[in-house]
Amino acid sequence: MFVLQVIWMALRGLRANLLRSLLATLGVIIGVAAVISAMSILEGSQRDIVERFESLGSDTIIITPALARSGGRVTGIAQTLSVEDAEALADPRLCPNVKAAAPQVTLRNVSIKYFSRNDEVEVMGTSEAFAAMYSYRVAAGMGRFLEREDVNAKAKVVVLGHRVARNLFGGANPVGQAVKIKGVPFRVVGVMEKRGNIGFLNVDRQVFVPVTTAMSRLMGIRFLHNISVQAVSPERVDAAIAEIKRELRRRHDIRIRTGGKDDFQIASQEEQRRQFQEVSQIFQVVLYSIAGISLVVGGIGIMNIMLVSVTERTREIGVRIAVGAQRIDILGQFLIEASIISLLGGAFGVGMGCLMADLLENATQILETYTTTRAVAWALAMATLTGIVSGIYPAYKASSLDPVEALRYE
Amino acid sequence: MNDPIISIRGMTKHYRMGDTVVHALDGVDLNVARGEFVSITGASGSGKSTLMHLIGCLDRPTAGSYVLAGQQVDRMSDRQLARVRNRSIGFVFQTFNLINRTTAVDNVAVPLIYARARGTRARAMQALRRVGLEHRAHHRPSELSGGERQRVAIARALVNNPPLLLADEPTGNLDSRTGEQILELFHELHAAGVTICLVTHEMAVAAQADRVVRMRDGRILEDRPVDEELRAQLLSERTGAEKLRPGRG
Repeated sequence: MFVLQVIWMALRGLRANLLRSLLATLGVIIGVAAVISAMSILEGSQRDIVERFESLGSDTIIITPALARSGGRVTGIAQTLSVEDAEALADPRLCPNVKAAAPQVTLRNVSIKYFSRNDEVEVMGTSEAFAAMYSYRVAAGMGRFLEREDVNAKAKVVVLGHRVARNLFGGANPVGQAVKIKGVPFRVVGVMEKRGNIGFLNVDRQVFVPVTTAMSRLMGIRFLHNISVQAVSPERVDAAIAEIKRELRRRHDIRIRTGGKDDFQIASQEEQRRQFQEVSQIFQVVLYSIAGISLVVGGIGIMNIMLVSVTERTREIGVRIAVGAQRIDILGQFLIEASIISLLGGAFGVGMGCLMADLLENATQILETYTTTRAVAWALAMATLTGIVSGIYPAYKASSLDPVEALRYE
Repeated sequence: MNDPIISIRGMTKHYRMGDTVVHALDGVDLNVARGEFVSITGASGSGKSTLMHLIGCLDRPTAGSYVLAGQQVDRMSDRQLARVRNRSIGFVFQTFNLINRTTAVDNVAVPLIYARARGTRARAMQALRRVGLEHRAHHRPSELSGGERQRVAIARALVNNPPLLLADEPTGNLDSRTGEQILELFHELHAAGVTICLVTHEMAVAAQADRVVRMRDGRILEDRPVDEELRAQLLSERTGAEKLRPGRG
């Protein structure tokens, strides 16, 4: 009952000094808003990335070239992974736990042309294994995906992603038509179904050409960017990784025992996800530290205003003591005021943070944001704690006033 | 009249101001019976304010004993003194000292809040009714006239039904007409049995009481009941030309 009355009094006081209360909590508001929006972005992108990892399937293994070093310095990536490596890994006699292996090269921001129509796409050079690996299908009645023959023959054929076909051909059937990629003529043999993301690729915006054609005709390179491998089952991922290591070391003539180093890196989808989560935890720690600093600054603002308020209300405090307030009542009143100010500031900050996150998501169209109740609860709790801590000194000052002096104060 | 509400013996208060010690009160003896209306008067620096603070338990004496309503208060802890102020004393100040942010009725309720009382709103309204300000209960002090504000302050002083009302220059910030009305209210309260201690430097105001205690240099100079002779003497000492009611009818 008493506490409720004190809270009621505090709210009255805040309403009477609305602008000042707002200014006092500005630090807390900005701090909390910044933290909430940053947390929302972090959480959102984390969820987005986890989802993408999951779309790869937990039986996926990615092989990438290792960083090439010369005298301890990174000079680029190793030029060793080949189409033949991918073929060897897919051979069930060599790697019985590997179900399929797709060689990959990618080329970004490539223009594709159909008569006067243009589109900017990402070209993926790969093999027939890619579509099967991710259960990625050709749209009904729209030709076929790449075939083994295309890769072997370095055929100038292309399969279009859903969006690309739409952009270049509208409603017409592209199969059999000729398009130009970087000026090189290709024949369209198929159009893929609408799919969205596979891992970090938006496959609807991609075109697929035989890996060999991409390397020789479009990019002029001799080695792969990566090999996607699918294990026979999620439980056999570790066994598959061991086979891949053994086979690649054999093929690349790497002898670990005599000090040789792998020129490739192998990461299972699970492992990559774990690494990513470790990194994002570091981000979280950094964010919370920044939040801590901004709350300290906000706390100083509140302390400042509370001190002014105590001085201004010296007479009121004198009267309250005269009519029977205990020291602890005065202390409690100012502490409650400080914590209400900062709790309201925190709530306001949470609202602004959510709004900022929303605006960012809508403005960029890339960022995904997600505000967790945990983050909100934490922000409010920390804001309130800030208020209490920064209210202690002013409240103590108020409670230790001499009533005779306080009543005389002009 | 033999039931003392205030019983003070040898009360002394010394302040240290820099290197010098100020003898604000120097061995004061004072008895006030239940139901009395006493004025404490004197020039500024006479010690009347110090005496009022000590009677009001806002301060502790350097020496001497003080029994208020049967309780030895001079050795009490801060906590106990706060309780005594809350239950046994109602303060009325010259500058009203209302809290401007809140309404009249909320101001009146403040002592009840510290008494941890229930039904504070209803009791605060009752106190406002007693001073005839029920209709202004939901106005803020800034919306009230000086006289109304002082009535709110008196209602606040009365709300816990304390046996003693302590008023410090209650008419000092009011025009003479309004001051008169406030004094009339004091007379009504006195008639209803409230003990009143009124501190003032205005002799005409002091003359309203049953008894006048005159102070000088921290001592009691004169302590006598108000009769026609004293009233005439006090009124002749007054400065302004304000008309005050000649006495209690």
